[in-house]
Amino acid sequence: MSDEEHHFDSKADAGASKTYPQQAGAIRKNGYIVIKARPCKVVEVSTSKTGKHGHAKCHFVGIDIFNGKKLEDIVPSSHNCDVPHVNRTDYQLIDISEDGFVSLLTENGNTKDDLRLPTDENLLSQIKDGFADGKDLVVTVMSAMGEEQICALKDIGPKN
Amino acid sequence: MQGSSDRGPADLTQLQATMQAIEIACSSIQNSQVANARFQAAAAIRDAAIREWGLLTSDDKKSLIRLDFAAAEKEAFMYEVKQAVLGVHGVDVQFTGINFLESLVSEFSPSTSTAMGLPREFHEQCLKSLELEYLKTFYCWAQDAAVSVTSRIIESHSAVPEVKVCTAALRLMLQILNWDFRYNTNMAKGAKPSMDVFNDGVRHDIASPKRSECILVQPGPSWRDVLISSGHIGWLLGLYGALRQKFSCEGYWLDCPVAVSARKLIVQFCSLTGTIFPSGKNLTSLSLPLIISSEMLDGCRALLSMATVTTPTVFDQLLKSVSPFGTLTLLSTLMCEVIKVLMTKNTEEETWSWMARDILLDTWTTLLIPMHSIGENARFPSEGINAAANLFALIVEAELRAASASAFNDDEDSQYLQASISAMDERLSSYALIARAAIDVAIPLLTRLFTERFARLHQGKGITDPTETLEELYSLLLITGHVLADEGEGETPSVPMAIQTHFVDIVETHKHPVVVLSSTIIRFAEQSLDQEMRMSVFSPRLMEAVIWFLARWSSTYLMVPEECREDNCNSGYDHESWLRSQHSRKALLSFFGQHNQGKPVLDVIVRISMMTLISYPGEKDLQALTCYQLLHSLVRRKNVCTHLVAFDSWRELANTFANGRTLFSLHSTHQRSLAQTLVLSASGMRNSEASNQYVRDLTSHMTAYLVEMSNKNDLKNFSQQPDIILSVSCLLERLRGAARALEPRTQKAIYEMGFSVMNSVLVLLEVYKHEFAVVYLLLKFVVDWVDGEIIYLEAQETAIVVDFCMRLLQLYSSHNIGKISVSLSSSLLSEAKTEMYKDLRALLQLIANLCSKDMVDFSSDSIETQGTSISQVVYFGLHIVTPLISLDLLKYPKLCHDYFSLLSHMLEVYPEMVAQLNNEAFAHVLGTLDFGLHHQDTEVVDMCLKVLKALASYHYKETSIGKIGLGSHASGFKDSDGKFQEGILSRFLRSLLQLLLFEDYSTDLVGIAADALFPLILCEQGVYQRLGQELADSQANPTLKSRLVNALQSLTSSNQLSPTLDRINYQRFRKNLHSFLIEVHGFLRTM
Repeated sequence: MSDEEHHFDSKADAGASKTYPQQAGAIRKNGYIVIKARPCKVVEVSTSKTGKHGHAKCHFVGIDIFNGKKLEDIVPSSHNCDVPHVNRTDYQLIDISEDGFVSLLTENGNTKDDLRLPTDENLLSQIKDGFADGKDLVVTVMSAMGEEQICALKDIGPKN
Repeated sequence: MQGSSDRGPADLTQLQATMQAIEIACSSIQNSQVANARFQAAAAIRDAAIREWGLLTSDDKKSLIRLDFAAAEKEAFMYEVKQAVLGVHGVDVQFTGINFLESLVSEFSPSTSTAMGLPREFHEQCLKSLELEYLKTFYCWAQDAAVSVTSRIIESHSAVPEVKVCTAALRLMLQILNWDFRYNTNMAKGAKPSMDVFNDGVRHDIASPKRSECILVQPGPSWRDVLISSGHIGWLLGLYGALRQKFSCEGYWLDCPVAVSARKLIVQFCSLTGTIFPSGKNLTSLSLPLIISSEMLDGCRALLSMATVTTPTVFDQLLKSVSPFGTLTLLSTLMCEVIKVLMTKNTEEETWSWMARDILLDTWTTLLIPMHSIGENARFPSEGINAAANLFALIVEAELRAASASAFNDDEDSQYLQASISAMDERLSSYALIARAAIDVAIPLLTRLFTERFARLHQGKGITDPTETLEELYSLLLITGHVLADEGEGETPSVPMAIQTHFVDIVETHKHPVVVLSSTIIRFAEQSLDQEMRMSVFSPRLMEAVIWFLARWSSTYLMVPEECREDNCNSGYDHESWLRSQHSRKALLSFFGQHNQGKPVLDVIVRISMMTLISYPGEKDLQALTCYQLLHSLVRRKNVCTHLVAFDSWRELANTFANGRTLFSLHSTHQRSLAQTLVLSASGMRNSEASNQYVRDLTSHMTAYLVEMSNKNDLKNFSQQPDIILSVSCLLERLRGAARALEPRTQKAIYEMGFSVMNSVLVLLEVYKHEFAVVYLLLKFVVDWVDGEIIYLEAQETAIVVDFCMRLLQLYSSHNIGKISVSLSSSLLSEAKTEMYKDLRALLQLIANLCSKDMVDFSSDSIETQGTSISQVVYFGLHIVTPLISLDLLKYPKLCHDYFSLLSHMLEVYPEMVAQLNNEAFAHVLGTLDFGLHHQDTEVVDMCLKVLKALASYHYKETSIGKIGLGSHASGFKDSDGKFQEGILSRFLRSLLQLLLFEDYSTDLVGIAADALFPLILCEQGVYQRLGQELADSQANPTLKSRLVNALQSLTSSNQLSPTLDRINYQRFRKNLHSFLIEVHGFLRTM
């Protein structure tokens, strides 16, 4: 690598760039991609050609990481696609409020109270039950393209 | 059954009841497809029939089908059946009789018993008696029955009831010939030649896989009279000939049952002996008329059958006696016709022509394969060579026409494409065999076709659309690749025999037809380096064919090292011709050898490869071919590497890869492969230092990037940016590729590479803990690196690596234990599960790799000097990993396999560690063991049995010297609720016995099961006695009961078995268990 690639662009504001361009041919299964302005996880990639002696194109099947909807896209494989900047942050769960918000403890000791519980019954119960059982829960919040959602929770031992 | 009612002295009511039963039975025989129902119906008829003559017999169905009632009964019964079959009682009875025999044969023809629930032992017995005593008799009856009605059929002009009988009889004969003859196969081998007039014309080497089925008929020699001498083959052909005349008549048509049966039987006879056609015109009449029909297909099958049992010469002679041309010519003409039909009517619906082509291709392959493997080309009839030449020319023409016609098809369905590619590969191999049979003609033909197309491309450049020509070239390249070279499959392929043995008279090497053809293609490929030519001519697809061809061609012809040139395939030659062929071969190989054209050609190939990686952005398929096939095949050979590392072109490739960014746009797995290739080429360096330096130069930039990145303070902020993730993933893939290319002489550099990034790996694992793709790459890199390095490491290095691995395991575990993914999408959830599985598998592999240090160690001092104990490592690792493994995850076959192999290895080598596991961990291990014991995969069960053996023998040995062994795990204990938990050994003794006696398992497992059962019995004598008693008590039949008791007795006492766990006793017990199972299995199991 030549020297100019050696410095790492750490943007002052992490949310400054929501997406990055990347060559379609380099995007793999399990990676991320923006399809129809939605951040998606790639669950399937296949290639075909435009006519027998034409150029390759990639066929992506993605699943919206927030609402679980399936989206598809076809891009010539030498062209660029947008790849979303997906961030995940761990917070300790402090409280679940009556009006459907969670209270989370950030790394620097503040609380983050602007995140809603998911509306889906199943996810909701997984979080609520865990909390009600008195477990010490750490939730992982996934954020991309201006949206946020709880994507995982982890039991880090019973409350004393 | 009207006939029988005449004779019956019975009273009216009984007769009526019988008649009714028979009617029902008859209809069920005719209508039912289920063999069981048909058989029962047939048995009911027999039952009724027997009752009519007052021969008393029990109603027990089972006793009926035992062909062993009292001799008198049996004879009378058989007599009756014979009367029926021979038509004494009229046509309907005859038909029923034949059907009865058919159901009898079909009941016993499979080697397992059907749903009728007869004990297996009995089934075997019946099968044997049927084969040895009755089959031939039945066959003769069927034959007589068919012959007896033939005249009626031939005379009448419309459908007669006799047709039904004839069809059934033919079907029965066919079924009998399909019987899996077992009891005199040793005689059958010797018998086959004697059944053939041409004693030396019979082949014994029939093992080639086929697209079309072809069953060999192998009855014993006793069948000779019946099948060959009685002349009924002639009768059958006559019958079919007569039937053909009648196809225009009412009630007959081409595919009417009787005609189909007759044809099938004829095909069956063909595989019996190639010489059944007393007059060849039958054969001609069978296959030549090109009607679109199943008749044609059966004709092709007959040819295939004959080809399977004869040599080419004999095959060709078959027709010589009656016609001016040989069978090979017939075959060639026939296939040409089929191909012409394919060319003109290329529709999806007309499948018969495709099938005919495949069957005929198989016929060719059957004839040609053995010749090519032993180099017997000289023996191929010259007429056949001409036939092959004509055929190959036509095949190429057809393929080219198909190619240009399909040039504009846009095949979207990639799955269908994959299937058709492998079918095409098979087809091309058959074409290549035909081409090699006529190699003198085929090579110049291909050269001419190529030249024509190149010229056309150049003339039409910029004026006409080249697509059709491109597709033709694509197809030609594939065909030529198959003709010129064989697939190596990992070995170095040699020049095909046909090419070695021909062209011996060529004096000037550069005029050797193969050299001319190869040079033409390479020159063409070289033009792709020119950008303008590339844009206008070299489409990605054409380039794929070029790369494929270069890969295949270069591993056979390019710089073949001296020692490989001498092979010992000189069987079947006189010395002089052998020498001449060696000369021709040497000339051919030295032309592309390292002192002649080899180097320039290799250089061109490298430059073309680099060009495809850089100038075809996003063309994954093309780049995959370049990385995996072409470059891999080049660096596999050391002498090629020596030249490679000296080339400027290769250095440029290495430099671009290590220091530039262009190749980051390659698919990341391709980058891994490229790194592997580049590191492997270090074997071409002069010495170990140079190799290590070469690897360091290649990897130092990459490791430096990772180290610098992981040391940044604001890593957390930028690490999640997609471009950074991409760089990290690519670099990890490259390092992994380099680690996989480890060879002894580059071991040092690779160790330094991994060592320098150890810390970074841990930092990245923390930062990317939510980014599955990166975590997985990190783990896989460590797995591959440890796998390669571990055996070479010195004690101190081992301690460092082991410590690093343990920190890695702990870090991973702390991130993932108790983690639940929540998502709206079920497919994302299942993805998360798969990710977990892949990670765990990598971790298990890592532990297994560490374990191997105890087995293979090339280091100078023992690792114990640094206080590292592998058993501690494994024990610790297992404690970290087992809680992550759930029974759900074990449903992934590969994970399951890895887990149990690790477990079995651990317990075999360190059983004492298990005794120290806490109750929870121990219970977890045993739970998985129980699961594994009932797994379908034999290997998994095998490994579980090894675990049991290890556990039980450890316990037995320890307790016999007064130690506690497994302690409370084995003796049973009271759990927290105060309930008594049975000891694990008695629990497994019970489930193992249950498995052995009543469940399905592969017989391969019996040996290892014995090894596990023996120590278990020794440990738990009391439990074993009790289980044996329970088993015996459950057996109601006194004979069987005593057999069982005796068998149990001798299991533990015969062969002087003594209660010590040594090799001899294990062997004795294996024998005992085998005979025990043989003795009791027959009656304990009913399916």
